[in-house]
Amino acid sequence: MSGHVSPIREPLVQGHKSYHDITEDLCAPTERKPSAAWVIGIIISLSLLGFGLFCIAWTIWHGIGTWNLNRTIGWGWDITNFVWWIGIGHAGTLISAILLLFRQKWRTGVNRAAEAMTIFAVICAALFPGIHVGRAWVVFYFFPYPNTRGPLWPNFNSPLLWDLFAISTYFTVSLLFWYTGLVPDFATVRDRAKGFRRKIYNFLSFGWTGSAKHWQRWEALCLVLAGIATPLVLSVHTIVSFDFATSVIPGWHTTIFPPYFVAGAIFSGFAMVLTLMIITRKLFNLENYITIGHIESMNKVILVTGTIVGVAYLTELFIAWYSGYVYEQFAFFNRAVGPYWWSYFGMMFCNVISPQVFWKRSWRRNIALTFFVSIVINIGMWFERFVIIATTLAREYLPSSWSYYSPTWVEIGIFIGTIGLFFTLYLVFARVAPVVAIAEVKSILKTAGDQYTGPDAIHSHHGHGDHHDHSHAMGLAANTDHHDHSDGGHLDLSSSTASSAIASSAVAEETVSIETESEAADGPRIRSTVGPDDLKKIEGIGPKISELLNAGGINTFAELADTSVERLKTILTEAGSRYQSHDPGSWPEQASLARDGKWEELKDLQDRLDGGKFV
Amino acid sequence: MAKSKDIIYGLYNDEEHLIEAVRAARADHLEIMDVYTPFPVHGLDPVLGLSESRLHIAGFVYGMLGTLTAFLGMTWIFTKDWPIIFGGKPYWSVPAFIPITFELTVLFASIGMVVTFYIINGLGPGVVNPTIDLRITDDKFCIAFDKSEVDTSKVESFLRGSGASEIHSKTI
Amino acid sequence: MTYEFSGKSKMWLLIGMVVGAVCLGLSWFSGDDGLHTRFWSNFLHNSVFFTGIALMAGFFMCCSITAWAGWYVVFKRVWESISMFLIIGIPLMLLIGVTVALHMNHLYHWADPTMIDPTHENYDTIIAGKSGFLNTKWYIGGTVVFGLIWIFFLSRIRSISLAEGQTGGDGFEKHYGIRKYAALFLPFAGFGSAAMIWQWIMSIDAHWYSTMFAWYTGASWFVSMIAITILILQYLKGKGYYDEVSTEHFHDLGKFLFAFSIFWTYLWFSQYMLIWYANVGEETIYFKERVTKYPVLFYANLVINFVAPFFILMRNDTKRKMGSLGFVAGLVLFGHWLDFFLMIKPGVLHTAHLAGGDHGGGHGHDHGHGHDVAHGAHESVFELGFTIPGLLEIGTFIGFLCLFFFFVFTVLSRVPLISKNDPYIEESLHHHT
Repeated sequence: MSGHVSPIREPLVQGHKSYHDITEDLCAPTERKPSAAWVIGIIISLSLLGFGLFCIAWTIWHGIGTWNLNRTIGWGWDITNFVWWIGIGHAGTLISAILLLFRQKWRTGVNRAAEAMTIFAVICAALFPGIHVGRAWVVFYFFPYPNTRGPLWPNFNSPLLWDLFAISTYFTVSLLFWYTGLVPDFATVRDRAKGFRRKIYNFLSFGWTGSAKHWQRWEALCLVLAGIATPLVLSVHTIVSFDFATSVIPGWHTTIFPPYFVAGAIFSGFAMVLTLMIITRKLFNLENYITIGHIESMNKVILVTGTIVGVAYLTELFIAWYSGYVYEQFAFFNRAVGPYWWSYFGMMFCNVISPQVFWKRSWRRNIALTFFVSIVINIGMWFERFVIIATTLAREYLPSSWSYYSPTWVEIGIFIGTIGLFFTLYLVFARVAPVVAIAEVKSILKTAGDQYTGPDAIHSHHGHGDHHDHSHAMGLAANTDHHDHSDGGHLDLSSSTASSAIASSAVAEETVSIETESEAADGPRIRSTVGPDDLKKIEGIGPKISELLNAGGINTFAELADTSVERLKTILTEAGSRYQSHDPGSWPEQASLARDGKWEELKDLQDRLDGGKFV
Repeated sequence: MAKSKDIIYGLYNDEEHLIEAVRAARADHLEIMDVYTPFPVHGLDPVLGLSESRLHIAGFVYGMLGTLTAFLGMTWIFTKDWPIIFGGKPYWSVPAFIPITFELTVLFASIGMVVTFYIINGLGPGVVNPTIDLRITDDKFCIAFDKSEVDTSKVESFLRGSGASEIHSKTI
Repeated sequence: MTYEFSGKSKMWLLIGMVVGAVCLGLSWFSGDDGLHTRFWSNFLHNSVFFTGIALMAGFFMCCSITAWAGWYVVFKRVWESISMFLIIGIPLMLLIGVTVALHMNHLYHWADPTMIDPTHENYDTIIAGKSGFLNTKWYIGGTVVFGLIWIFFLSRIRSISLAEGQTGGDGFEKHYGIRKYAALFLPFAGFGSAAMIWQWIMSIDAHWYSTMFAWYTGASWFVSMIAITILILQYLKGKGYYDEVSTEHFHDLGKFLFAFSIFWTYLWFSQYMLIWYANVGEETIYFKERVTKYPVLFYANLVINFVAPFFILMRNDTKRKMGSLGFVAGLVLFGHWLDFFLMIKPGVLHTAHLAGGDHGGGHGHDHGHGHDVAHGAHESVFELGFTIPGLLEIGTFIGFLCLFFFFVFTVLSRVPLISKNDPYIEESLHHHT
C-alpha cells in the first residue's frame, strides 16, 4: 500500500506504534480519571465563564449603556472580540479541508482538535453580535421567515446580514464535518467501553460498524465536505471583511481586505492551535502523535501567513500614500501616531516581527519559544482588530465628533467569559472524545509511522518485514488481552451460538503460524515491498487494463510473465466486452524481457508489434 | 430489527493480508457478506468490486437547490414582494446577492449530503447495529460470510488458508 | 531521457514567431495615431503576461519545495525551464521602461513630464503626488533590481537541482540547499511582484488604485502558468516523453487549475463588488469604462475564466482525460490573456487619447482614429484591435507564445527530463491522488 515515501520525510507517528497502540494511546484520555491539571483547568475555566455570564446578565439587565461605546465609536471591544474569535475559528477548517486537499499528512495529528476549536471559537464569536444588538431576545428577526410584520424581510443587501448567513453556515458545516469524522472514533471508544458508558458512546457513534461500503462513502463525504468547506472558510472572513470594506470610511474601504482578513484569520487560528496543542500533547502524553515535526510545519504556516499579513499592512500603508486621497492618508497617519499608536505598534511587532524568528529551523522546533510566540500572536491579532475598528472610528470626518474609547469592566468581563467558555468546552471535549483522529492516524501509519520511514526506520526487510514481526508480537499480546475483555461483553453474544465457535486460542495461534510460514515463502509481502511494476510499459496495456490485471493478482512483470495467455484472456473477457478486442498474446513474452531487465530487446520486440499484437 | 443471520468471519492482522484474502475469495467465487476495517483501507474498494460512491452527485443537486432557493428567493423579495433601494442601486442587485447565494449553496449541499450519508448507511442517533467483533474498531480486519449463502466448510478452509489469524462463527 | 528539440518543432515555432513579429510590426502602422499605441500596448500586454507566467512557475515551485510537496518532482524540470524565461521577459520589460523614459510611446500617463510641472497647464495634482513612485527611475530600477534578484534565485535553484540530478548524494545536502534558496525567494517574489505589478500594470490607470490589484493580477498569472504547464506536459507526452507523468499528475494539475480559477474569481468578485458597493466615483470609473465600452471582454472574461473551468473541471473524470483538460487549459490560458488585455488596453487608449490631443496642439481636437473608440468616437463595442483583440493581437499572442515555447523547450532539452536524485522522486513516480 504504502510504498514510496521520501527518505527525507520525518515520521509523523513516532514510538513504533502498532494499530492497537494507537487505539490505546488515543482513547486513554477519555477512559482514565481526570488528572489534577485537568480539574484545575476546568475550575478556572468555569470561574471565568461564570464571571462572563454575570457580565452578560448585567449588560442585558442594565442595557448596553454599561459599555463605554459612544456615538462616534459604536463598535469597540465587542466587535473586536467577535472578529478575533471568528479568525481563530478558521484554522480548524483550514487544517481539515485545505490541507486535506493538498495532502499534507501532518494534518491528521491536529485536525480533530483544531476542528473542535473552530466550533468553540465560532460559538464565542456569535455571542458578541447577539448581545450587541441590544434586545437579544428578538434576535430571530434577522432570519428571513414569513412573518406578521409586513411581511418585513431583512435587508439582503447588507453585509451584516451576509455575515449572519456566513457564520451560521460555517458553524453548521464545521459541526457536520467534525462530527462525521468523530463517528468512527466514537465507535472505537464504544467497543472498549462497558455498561452505561457503552450506551452513551453507542448513541454518539450512530451505530457505526466499519463496513467497507460505509468507509467508502465516509471518505467520499469527507472529501466533498472538505472541497466545499475550502471556499466556505475563505468566504466567512471575506464577508466579515465586507462588513468594513463596503463602507466609505477611510481605512475600511480598501479592496485588499478580503484576502488580508483571510490570511490574518489563518494566522491567528494557527497560533491558537499551537497554544492548545502544546498544552494538549503535554497533558495527555501525545508527543508521539503531535510531534516536533507537526509543530515545525505549523510554525511554517505561521511564518508564511504572518508575512502575508505584513505585506498587506505595508500595501495598505503604501497605497494610502499612493492614492493621493488625504482622508485615506490621514487614517493611516492616525493609526501609526494617533492616540492609539500603541495598538498599531503592538500589531506590527506581534504579527510581523515576532513570527520572523521562525526562519531559523532550531527555533521552529523549540517548544517553549513556539508557545511564547503563539501567545504573542494571539495578542497581536487582537490588536489588529482593535486598530481596524476603534482607531478608525475614533477619528471620523468631522473633527468635532472625534472621541476616545476604553472599555468598562463589563466589556472586559464578557471577553474573559468567552475565554472561559472556550476552554471549558475544549476541556470537556478532550475528556469525551479522542483529541487525535484515531482512524485517520491509523490510515497514515504505514506511510508516516517511524517504523516505516524516516531516519530510524528499520530497513532490513524494507520496513514492512519489520512491522510485520512487530505487529505479530503485539497482535498476540492483544489477543490474550482481548479474550479477557470479551468475557464481559462479548461472550453473551457468542454463547448463544457457542457450538459454532471454532476459535479457541489454540486454533488462532495455529493459523497465525501457518500465516507466518506462507509469508516467508511467498510473494505478497516481498512484492509489496518492492512495489508493483508499471505494467503499462508492456505494449498493449493501458491504465485500465493494468488495473484489471492488478485486481486479478498480477502486479509485477514476473507474475505477468508466468501467467498464461488463456488466463489473461479470461480476465479481459470477464471485465466486459470493451476489452475483448485486446490481444494479450505477446504480453507474457514482453513481461519476461521486462522482468529480466532486457529493455533493449523489449524495445525491439515492441517495434515489431502493432498495438501489442503480433503482425 | 431484521431477522438474525448466522455468519462466519475471519480476522486479519494487517490490511494487506485482508486485500489479498478478499482478492482470493472473489477469485474463488465466495460470496462475501461484508468487510469491516478499523480505518478506510486504500485499494480495498476495487478489489471488493465496490462501485464508486455517487454521494457527490447528490451533493451537487442539493447545492443547486440551495443556489436557486437563495437567488430566486432574494430576487422575488427585492423585486416583487418588498423592494428596497439601497445606495442608489437597482432593486435587482446581483453582486449583493452573491454572498448569501454562495452560503446557502454550501449549506444545502452539506446538510443534504450528510443526512443522505446517514440514511443510506442506516446509521443515526440511537441506531444499534450488531457488533461482529469488538476489535474491528481497534486493529482487526474482518471478512464476514453469510452462512446461508456460502458453503461453510469451504469458507472455513479458505479463511484458514488465506492467513486469517482467527476464525469465528456467530449469530447476529 | 532527454527531450530532443527536433528541427521540425523548431521550424514551426520559428514560423509562429515570424507571424508574431509580422503582426506586431503591422500594428506599428495600424490605426496609427503617431504614437504607435497599438504596437506598444500589444508589446506590453504580451511581455508582461509571459514574464508573469515565468515568475509564477518559479514561485509555485518554491512554494512546493518549502511545503515539502513531492508529487510534482517528476516534471519539475518543466517549471525550472519556464521560470528561466525571466531571462527574456525581464529585458523585454526593461525595453519598455527605456522607451517610456525616452518618450517613444505613451503607455503611461505619468510619464508625461508636463503632468507634474506645477507651472504647466497639464499639471495634475494626483499624478504629481504619485510621482515619487511613478517615474521612470523606479520603473527601470525596480525591473532591473527585482528582475535580477528573481533570476539569481531561480537560476541558483535550477543549477543546484541540475547538479543534484547528476551526482546526487546520500545526505541530500543539495536538496537542503535548494530549500534555503526557495524559502528566501518567496518574500522577494511576494513583495517584488506586488511592487512591479503596480508599476507595470496598475499605473496605466494612473489615477486609479486598488489594494487588491497585485493579488488579482498574480492569480491571473498563476492560473495561466498552470494551464501552460498542462499544455507543455501534454505535448511532451504526445511526443512520447514523460511516460512517468501519469493521469494522477494531470489530475492534480487539473485540481490546481480548477481551484485557482475559483480563487481568481473570488478576487475578481471581491474587488468588483467592493468598488461597486461603495460607489466612489474615482474608483468605479475603472469598471464603468470596461462595462460600457468593453462589454464583450468584460463578460467573456468571467465566462471563460470562471464558468467554463468551474463546470467542466468539477467532475473528476474531466481532470483525468487529456482532451477535456487540454481544452480547458488552452481556453483558460487564452482567457487570462484576454484578462490582461482588459487590464491594459482601456487605460492605454485613454492615455493615448489625452496625449494625442496634446500632440495635436490642444484639447477637443478632431482625432477620427480608431483608438478613439475608448472615448465614444465609435459606438461599436466590437472594434477589432481596440475593444476586442483583432487579428494582429492574436497573431502577436501566437508569436510570443512560440517564443516562450521555443525558449522553454531549448532550456528543457539540455538536461534529462527527470531528476532521479531528488529525494521526493519516488513519491512522485508513484503518485496517487
